[in-house]
Amino acid sequence: MSEGAIQRRRVSATEGILACVVLLYCVMVAAVNPAFLSVETLFDIVRSSSTAVIVGMGLLLVMLSGGIDVSFMSIALFGSYVAAYLMIRLKIDSLAFAFAVSIGLGTTLGLVNALLVNWLNLPPFIITLGTQNLFHGVMTTFISDKTFGAGVMPSVLSKFGSATLFTLKTRQGVMGLTVAVIPMCLSILLTWFIVYRTMTGRGVVAMGNSPESARRAGFNLLKLRLFTYGYIGALAAVMGVVYISQVNAVYPNKLVGNELMIIAGAVIGGVKDTGGRGKILGVILGIAIIYLLNSTLIFLGLSSSWNNFFVGTLLVASVAVTSWQNRRKNRKNLLFME
Amino acid sequence: MSNLVLQAKALSKKFVGVQALDKVSLDIEAGTIHCLAGENGSGKSTFVKTISGIYQPDEGEIVLNGNVYAALTPAHAMREGVQVIYQDLSLFPYMSLAENIALNRLRLDGVKIVDWKEVWRVAKEQTEKIGVDVDLNATAIETSMAGRQIAAICRALSQDARLLFMDEPTAALTRQEVDRLLKVVCELKNNGLSVVFISHKLDEIFRISDNITIFRDGKKVGDFESARLDEKSLAYHMTGRDVRYPRYRREAEAAAAPLLAVKGLSKQGHYHDVSFEIRRGDILGLIGLLGSGRTELAMSLFGLNPPDTGVVAFEGKTARISSPVEAKRLGIALLPEDRGSQGLFRERGIRENITSTLLDRLAVGLRAIDAHREREIAEEGVKKLRIRAPGVETPVGTLSGGNAQKVVVAKWSAANPKLFIMDSPTVGIDIGSKAEIYEMVQSFAKGHMAVLFITDELEELMCNCNRVLVMANHRIIAALDEGDMEQPGAERRIADLIGGSARKEEERGVRI
Repeated sequence: MSEGAIQRRRVSATEGILACVVLLYCVMVAAVNPAFLSVETLFDIVRSSSTAVIVGMGLLLVMLSGGIDVSFMSIALFGSYVAAYLMIRLKIDSLAFAFAVSIGLGTTLGLVNALLVNWLNLPPFIITLGTQNLFHGVMTTFISDKTFGAGVMPSVLSKFGSATLFTLKTRQGVMGLTVAVIPMCLSILLTWFIVYRTMTGRGVVAMGNSPESARRAGFNLLKLRLFTYGYIGALAAVMGVVYISQVNAVYPNKLVGNELMIIAGAVIGGVKDTGGRGKILGVILGIAIIYLLNSTLIFLGLSSSWNNFFVGTLLVASVAVTSWQNRRKNRKNLLFME
Repeated sequence: MSNLVLQAKALSKKFVGVQALDKVSLDIEAGTIHCLAGENGSGKSTFVKTISGIYQPDEGEIVLNGNVYAALTPAHAMREGVQVIYQDLSLFPYMSLAENIALNRLRLDGVKIVDWKEVWRVAKEQTEKIGVDVDLNATAIETSMAGRQIAAICRALSQDARLLFMDEPTAALTRQEVDRLLKVVCELKNNGLSVVFISHKLDEIFRISDNITIFRDGKKVGDFESARLDEKSLAYHMTGRDVRYPRYRREAEAAAAPLLAVKGLSKQGHYHDVSFEIRRGDILGLIGLLGSGRTELAMSLFGLNPPDTGVVAFEGKTARISSPVEAKRLGIALLPEDRGSQGLFRERGIRENITSTLLDRLAVGLRAIDAHREREIAEEGVKKLRIRAPGVETPVGTLSGGNAQKVVVAKWSAANPKLFIMDSPTVGIDIGSKAEIYEMVQSFAKGHMAVLFITDELEELMCNCNRVLVMANHRIIAALDEGDMEQPGAERRIADLIGGSARKEEERGVRI
């Protein structure tokens, strides 16, 4: 009974509802435009959302810990930009180098976030909002603010960006699945392992539930914070390299500003900003919905301005459901907050 | 002699200017239930924190299982089997009970990779040991207060507890839950564990403890076998004086028109067909157990939890009390059951709490607050209610239960309400403060306020209320007027009414 019971709890109502929304939406789009139902669309959505899922896993961990990070896109840009910059300047053409430099920098910046959160004891939102600008500013002011186009991109990055895992012959031509699914799957597996199988991961969840109780249980909150913010920093850095490879260019002002879309995905996926609650499948589905909307408007013949409308509606609806559930629970306990 | 789990020898601990512990010596034998009794600030919690290694004593030594310590660290204390269950239980609300129980144990073992089978094995082993059936799969927040207590106990046991401190474990439990918990505690004792129980509820102290140690002003008054004390002598030793609660009798004219008249008030699943009247000068007691519908009713009268049907008349006019704003406008005040979350701004000072009900009256000019007048009112409240605090700016979250409750009373009495609804005003409050709160309530009623006094303690009902309603299973099952209350058998009669309804509930079967 016990094993099955744990399993049962891994998939909850939120994920079920989200999966239904995704399915229904797909059916609807396919009904309007049958061209939607193609391997091409699927591979396209996977390719565009892979970067978001990678960093979304880091965000899940941070939100489970009761924190938030709005600086991860800044970190992703910092890490990948510096890596590419060095490769171009020093004429190093190695994928391992790109990832190593980016991850090293990303982790360091994440640790900086953790230390600031711990020392200043201010809401992590404010602190990472500050470091978002700080990191970006440091990069553009002290390192470089040049754009590197496809012509100067290290060839190994360009190749990585367009590489495919396998290809399928379809009527539209040859379709390939991006290799970015490899880092994506690795980040999902690693995050699953950390959250459900390691004491550190349980500590992160415990801290998100109740910092005081976690301390009493013997967890070192500083260590846990260093781990979570370091982890999202590292994943953001991985994502940065994947991103510049896919775009096949390095811009000093891309990515930053897109973090709220990922956070919206996590919240739609049922991750609670109050900490301690959130599931991997939820984050994946939440992000999938956003990218699905993003890339299917065309099939519905709608302009891209509808995108914000749909995402906003979803976000408000999902938050409203949470609020309604809380209200019902509070009423049961005779708490009248409204 | 070798049977002693704990020997505290002349422990002293001083905080800035306050002697929190003054040469306290205490022995605790294996397999006994030991109660620590004393008023707030008497040194009980300091003692517990010293034994569990959170505070280091200035003088004296602690002997645990024969090992002598001049000062303990929390890790040392845990290794000697000292476990403390604090009032907040320190559980993780969104984690399963199984994990809540086992996590500390696994950490203690230095586990890095979590094996869920092991988590369940540890949790099951402990729940089976005390013979309780709880849903280990449910998260803590989905579990009843009693179930959470059980989980906290199991968590302590899983860490090889030999000496278990429990700080007011019964404060939020229903009567049936208390019975079950006390049974579990006795079971622990039979298994050779020593339990140190801290409670303000004297009847519980007598029900389970073998020995009682009484603290007063940081000193130990004495150790007593519980059979040699009764509630009266215990209260005397705790406060150093004879505590007597004067009986309230209404002095206002009997024929006065009712201030509040409630007729046929119902809310599905909360209360059914409630009718009563209350006059100025009445202290109308509403006695009922947790879950009887008493709090739901109080909320409705204060404009929360709107009723489905029924009529409420205030000062002879039909009133639709649809919000607390409306209730306050009419002159109704509510002292909520849970003062911490609903009655106070815990992070703010006493001054702001007391004046929070009359900000409109303090406004001068363009909505600025008259700071001088505000301070005056706050200081007056502190003096009138004998709130013991360093100053009017002290955050109320740092006050003891009794003093915090006095702030709630002061807050509303400053607004001078016509009807004061008090929901369980003395929960978790020591005897001295209780007496002071009773005194205040009675003086309010003498000053022509009407008080609706909700409680589950018979003793305070009898001394404070001139009329009584008995509530059970969401209905008012009896109403006693002033004549009934003067009858010699009144107390017995009410006790039987409540006991009868509790038995019925028992028969219907209640699970933790």
